[in-house]
Amino acid sequence: GAPRLPLRRRLAVAGAVAGAAAAGWLYLRHEKERRRRALRLEQLRRLALGQGDFQLRDTGGAARSKADFLGRWVLLYFGFTHCPDVCPEELQKLSRAVELLERDPALPPLQPLFVTVDPERDDAAALARYLRDFHPRLVGLTGTAEQVRAAAAAFRVYVSAGPRDADGDYVVDHSVLTFLVDPDGILRDCYGRSRTAEEVARSVRAHMDAYEPLPA
Amino acid sequence: AAGMAAPTMEERKACWGARDEFWQCLDSHGDDATKCEKLRRAFESRCPQQWVKHFDKRRDFLKYKKKLETEGYHPPEAAGKS
Repeated sequence: GAPRLPLRRRLAVAGAVAGAAAAGWLYLRHEKERRRRALRLEQLRRLALGQGDFQLRDTGGAARSKADFLGRWVLLYFGFTHCPDVCPEELQKLSRAVELLERDPALPPLQPLFVTVDPERDDAAALARYLRDFHPRLVGLTGTAEQVRAAAAAFRVYVSAGPRDADGDYVVDHSVLTFLVDPDGILRDCYGRSRTAEEVARSVRAHMDAYEPLPA
Repeated sequence: AAGMAAPTMEERKACWGARDEFWQCLDSHGDDATKCEKLRRAFESRCPQQWVKHFDKRRDFLKYKKKLETEGYHPPEAAGKS
């Protein structure tokens, strides 16, 4: 009969075959994952181009759009200066979250941003006055009614000015959300009233750690 | 831009303080506003009228929320069945 291979040799062959099968399976899985990521990347690129853009002015009068903030992480809040309580609280929280993250020099810079939903009253001067009480790097943005409307719509932020009283005063009902945008301009997360500054900072840090820049 | 400037941080804190004092008074008098008229007037003088309205609504909402949490939800009687 045909010579039999010794046991050790047979085990070695079986092991090699099993190893090759495992390697093949891992390769196929890797390929599937790679293709899934490429598709996701394509979707994200299309999203980054069209999503969350705005044409506004900062408190110095300079025109600002989303492109001006690419390359930086952004934490963005929509509010108004005549806001009774929510906006100061949310801005306090936003400022605190930024401060917490600033303590770690290994983290990339985070740009806090405030966009008014009340352009009629919140001009550059009003915004500058209001934002003085919060984080020193907080940038305020305003614009024409149409520009502000478009910016809010781009972020799906609900805005509804209430009725005016005898003094012409009114409040603006609006979604209370803080948005996290990555350096590619992609929306990564949003935080509501219930999240604390510490929770926001932790979440932002996690996103920063997981971040992979979109390939050019 | 319309009328008055937005309240400053100091003005906001004064308003919130007056509101909290008024609410504390209400809490200790079973929401009997007649027992807290002085604090009510202080609250109204320290806060813009729009904010007074806003905080009154918030108080109602907080009370309603507390009621739901302690008593549970009782749906209103339906006028007729569909």
